[in-house]
Amino acid sequence: MRDRITSITLGALLLSPPALAADAAHGKQLFAACVACHSETPDAQGPSLKGVAGRKPGTLEDFRYSNAMKRADFVWDAANLRDYLHDPQGKVKGNHMPFSGYPDVKDAEDVAAYLQTYK
Amino acid sequence: MATRLKEIDAVVIGMGWAGGIMARELTLAGLNVVGLERGPDHRPAQDFAMPGIRDELKYQQRLELMGDNSIDTITFRNQPAQMALPIRRWSAFLPGEGVGGTGNHWGGSHWRFQPDDFRLRTYLQTRYGAKSVPDTMAIQDWPVGYDELEPYYDRFDKVCGVSGKAGNLKGRKIAGGNVFEGPRASEYPNRPMPHSEGGAIFAAAAKNLGYHPFPVPFSAASAPYKNIYGVAMGACQECGFCTRTACEASAKASSVTTIMPALRQEPKFELRTRVFVSRLVYDKAARRVTGVLYTDLKTGQEYEQPANIVVLSAFVFSNTHMLLHSGIGTPYDHATGTGLVGKNYCYQFEAPAAAFFPDKELNPYMGSPGGGVVIDDFNNASFDHAGLGFFGGGYIIASSGGSPPINGRSVPEGTPAWGSQWKRETVKWYYHSVHFNTQGSVYGHRDNYMDLDPTYKDALGRPLLRLTYNGTDNDHAMSRYLLSRVENVIKAMGPAHYEMRPRPKNFTIVPYQSTHNAGGTIMGSDPGNSVVNRYLQSWDAHNLFVMGASTFPQQHGYNPTGTLGALALWSADKIKNSYLKNPGPLVHA
Repeated sequence: MRDRITSITLGALLLSPPALAADAAHGKQLFAACVACHSETPDAQGPSLKGVAGRKPGTLEDFRYSNAMKRADFVWDAANLRDYLHDPQGKVKGNHMPFSGYPDVKDAEDVAAYLQTYK
Repeated sequence: MATRLKEIDAVVIGMGWAGGIMARELTLAGLNVVGLERGPDHRPAQDFAMPGIRDELKYQQRLELMGDNSIDTITFRNQPAQMALPIRRWSAFLPGEGVGGTGNHWGGSHWRFQPDDFRLRTYLQTRYGAKSVPDTMAIQDWPVGYDELEPYYDRFDKVCGVSGKAGNLKGRKIAGGNVFEGPRASEYPNRPMPHSEGGAIFAAAAKNLGYHPFPVPFSAASAPYKNIYGVAMGACQECGFCTRTACEASAKASSVTTIMPALRQEPKFELRTRVFVSRLVYDKAARRVTGVLYTDLKTGQEYEQPANIVVLSAFVFSNTHMLLHSGIGTPYDHATGTGLVGKNYCYQFEAPAAAFFPDKELNPYMGSPGGGVVIDDFNNASFDHAGLGFFGGGYIIASSGGSPPINGRSVPEGTPAWGSQWKRETVKWYYHSVHFNTQGSVYGHRDNYMDLDPTYKDALGRPLLRLTYNGTDNDHAMSRYLLSRVENVIKAMGPAHYEMRPRPKNFTIVPYQSTHNAGGTIMGSDPGNSVVNRYLQSWDAHNLFVMGASTFPQQHGYNPTGTLGALALWSADKIKNSYLKNPGPLVHA
C-alpha cells in the first residue's frame, strides 16, 4: 500500500508542471554538447536548430533525415523537445542522432527552453 | 608532359594527422598552402553519418577507409635472401587513405614516449654497461629530448581533446595516473572515459599485485570540447564501433574532425584530392626540392606543382618510397650496412591474450577503446632488465566492450570458424570475454629495412617499396616476458579459461596486428646517422620536411600517434619562427 502511494505521488510529480521554471541560460551552457554536429555550417552533421520551436520534425529540405524522424507526427514544443532531449530513442525510435540524451530531465528541460529562444 | 602550375608557398603531401597539422600551422603563419591527397575527401556529414558509419562489413571487414592496393602497395619478405611479393590486400597493418589518413580509423590510444626513450642508447649503456647493446641492434638517441617536446605534446593533447588522467604533473606523481610517464605541464583536457567492466576487473587484480593501473589516454573527448583551433568536438557516446572506422559523433580526434573544419574556412588553404604524387623534383646542386610531380587520378593528367616548402607526410611507406624514388639521400644498403633511407624499419610487437568469465556480464556491445585499463610497469625504463637477456618492453592493456557484431566475437581456441558449434560458442562467450594486449617496442635491426623492389611496379610505373622484416630474438624475448607478466594478472582475475596468444617466430602479413610502422627516414643528430634533423628537415634538401613515424629512430612501447603529432607541431614552430625568416639548414652539420 505504501509502495503504491509512493508511486502515485512520484507519477503525479512527473506529470505535473515543474516546480522550477526552465533555465534557458543553463540550457545554453548544456547546448555545448550539441554544437559539434548542430554547427549551422553547410558541412554540419546535424540539421540547423535555428527556429526549431514550432517546427515539425524532419522538415528542413537541406538535411537528410532518418525515416523515423520524417514520420514523427508532432510539433517541437517545450514538452516534446524536453522528452526528446532526455531520451532521443524513446521519443523517436530509430532516429539517427548519435546522442544518448541528458539523463537529468531538468537539464533536458533547460536545453528545450534555450531552443525556444534560438532563432 | 606535365602542366606546370603556379608556385605556391608550401605544398603538403598527405592530409592525415601530420599533414593536417602542418597545413593549419603554416596557414596560420600566413603561408598559402596546397594539400595534396591521393584518396577522397571525407566530409563527416556525408561520409561519417549515422547509420551508414556503423556498417561493420563495409568498414571493418572490407576496409573502406584503407589504401587501394590496386594503385599502390608494398612488397614483403621476411629475409633478404627471399623474393618479396606484393601485399594485395592490407591485413597485418592498415594504412589509411583519404583526408584524415590513418587517423580516421585509429583506436585513439594517445601516448607519449618516456623521457629515457628519447635517449635510448645512452640510457641503456649508462645503466647496463657500455657493451650491453649488441652490434646488430641499430638503436640511437633521438635528436630531441622529452623536455623540449613536452610543450608540443601538451599542445597536441589540446588539438585532440584527449581524455585521461595524469600520473606525473610537473614531477609530482599522482596515483591513479601513469606514474611512469614523464612530467606533464598540465592535466589532460578531458576526464578519462569510465573503465570497461573487464578493465575494472583487471585494475583490481593488477593493483593487488602491486602494479599501477590507470585509464588509457584516449584521443576522444569524454565531454563536449572546443580545441585550440576553435573546432567543437562532441562527447564520445561509447557506440561500440571505433577502430577501423570513423566517428559519428565528432568525438574521436582525427585531422578531419579537429583540424579540417578550420582549414575548410581558411582562404589560404586549397585541398586537392585524388591526386597521386609520383616524385619530388630535386635540385641536388642547390640542395632544394623545387616542387612535386603528381597525377590527377580522375583525369590521368600530370602536373608539376612548384613550391617553396615541401612537407612530406604520406605515412611511413610512402615517405620512404618518395625519397628513394626521387633520389634524395643515400639508400640503405643491407650488404654493407651503409646508407640511411629505408634504414631501421620498426614494427610494433603486439601480442594479445583473452580470458573468459562465464559468471560476469561485460556488456560488449557498447564501450570505447577509452574503457581500457593499462599498466606501464613493464615499459623500457619502468623496470630493471638486468639478467633478462633483452631490452625494451611495452604497456599492457585490458578491456572488454566495443566488440562489434562480426569482428567482436571472442571464442576459445579450437572453436570451429563457422557452423553450429561456432554459433553455440559465440552465444556462450560473447558477453563474458576480456581481451588483453601488449604494446611491445621494436628496436632497429640491420636486417629490417625498406628499399625499392626490383620486380613489381605501382599504377604509375614506379618500382614498389619493398619491406624486409622479421621479429628479432630481442623482440620475441621481450614479448614473451610481457605475456608472462600479463598471465600473472590474468590468473589473479580468476577466469574460467584463458589463452595467451604469442606471435609466431616469423612475422606474417596476416592477420591484423598493428598499423604502427616506423622508421625509414629516421631523425638524428647528424647526416651520418639520419635522414632528417631534429626539426624533421631533410639533411639533403633544406626546404623538405618529412613528417610522421618514418622519422622515429626506433619504435617504443607505446602507440606512435601522440609523438608524431607533437613532432609535427614542434617542426611547424621552428619553421614559423626560424626557417621563414632565414631559409636554409636549421642544424649545421
